[in-house]
Amino acid sequence: MIDFINVYKSYQLQGIRKTILDDLSFTFPAKKNVAILGHNGAGKSTLMRLIAGAELPDQGRIRREVRVSWPLGFGGGFNGKMSGLENIRFVARMYGEDTEAVTEYVKEFSELGESIQLPINTYSSGMRARLAFGVSMAVDFDYYLIDEVIAVGDLRFKRKCRMVFENKLEKSNIIMVSHSARTIKKFCDSGCIIRNGKIEAYDEIDEAIYEHEKNQDN
Amino acid sequence: MDSVLITQGRVIGALVLRETRTTFGASQLGYLWAILNPAVGVALLTAIFTAVGRVAPFGTSLALFFATGLLTFELYKKLSTSLMVAFEANQALMTYPLVQALDVIIARAILILATYILVMFLFFGGLIALQLAHLPANFEEVAAAIFVTSLLGTGVGTTYAVICSVFGTWKQIEGILSRPLFFMSGIFYVPHKFPPEIVNVLSWNPVLHLVEWMREGYYPNYNSVVLDKPYVLAFTLISLLVGFGSERLYRKSRAR
Repeated sequence: MIDFINVYKSYQLQGIRKTILDDLSFTFPAKKNVAILGHNGAGKSTLMRLIAGAELPDQGRIRREVRVSWPLGFGGGFNGKMSGLENIRFVARMYGEDTEAVTEYVKEFSELGESIQLPINTYSSGMRARLAFGVSMAVDFDYYLIDEVIAVGDLRFKRKCRMVFENKLEKSNIIMVSHSARTIKKFCDSGCIIRNGKIEAYDEIDEAIYEHEKNQDN
Repeated sequence: MDSVLITQGRVIGALVLRETRTTFGASQLGYLWAILNPAVGVALLTAIFTAVGRVAPFGTSLALFFATGLLTFELYKKLSTSLMVAFEANQALMTYPLVQALDVIIARAILILATYILVMFLFFGGLIALQLAHLPANFEEVAAAIFVTSLLGTGVGTTYAVICSVFGTWKQIEGILSRPLFFMSGIFYVPHKFPPEIVNVLSWNPVLHLVEWMREGYYPNYNSVVLDKPYVLAFTLISLLVGFGSERLYRKSRAR
């Protein structure tokens, strides 16, 4: 369960204060795949970071009683000086997963071959993304956070990502930010619109998309 | 979901291993250097003082006298300076939902303490094997001195880290301010040979107390005139409270 209790979040940049969440109390529906919709700059990514715990609210509490991933495909936490293998092991240890099994899985999935023993600094951005995606898939999360990116690499690899990911969805749920109505319809069964610091929840994804598009027209 | 403590323990464990790898580099040689570094410092001091014909300010062994002083001082110094940069060095890690800023601090402190315990073990062991030193007279006191030193280093280092996150120039200022500490911590002298006015000033320095604590534990008959355990314990406790308290206070304003 992910619970927002009286959450405030704002940013102050060069004297201009921008309120993202204004006294938001909200419970993400359990066992549902949720799309987060909103205008550019409405705070979708901030909301994701708050859910992940990578950022703290100004006021209020966020309770998480489930295992939430970092944004899918995100490799920013990797250490460039450490090899691919060492980075994988670190994440596996942190999440208490079987290090060997995770390593094997990511090795196989990421198709990095011998490069997996090299420092990440030497990787191309594509290789890095493949590694990050593989690691995200190797750990079992209750909720996957997706900020636009749902697959990485070239066409063939993207197909593979989607396949693995759809498998994951049998047990896990997602919270997703995307501008593509098609992707959202494919993966999500309910939607939230973030607007003026509040969240409007819709049980039906079609309804959410309809409302969102109506908002866009105004 | 595992309990919070188990998760945190696991995260800290993973971080310690990661820190080991990132601070000492890829090769085993890296760790060897980390161990040799303080040992070489002591050896160098001993060589210089022997060359100019000085005898140990206390006891018979110059090397033992310097080791009890320098290794204690270095443990404090290493903790306070490397914890100071712990936040910025590990900023990327904060994007993992599981990792909290304090985990990074604790992991670093554990690694440094473990390294120094190993250094002391090897160095004192080596001196004893070479018959340049005796076994510590009071082992519990030596252990207590090392433990309190590491707590003080952690408290001060955490406080520095928070100051740095608000005020980046602190790193340079701290470098200048802490320079005299090397001369004020009794590494190469016994404070009770100084006139009382000087001792009074020096005894504000908690690190001097810790060096004295270490020596009182190691030598059978040191009898420090400076050592005031309640003072150094209070100082340590306050530094920990300020460090951890301000970390909590400034957690939100810290750019993550």
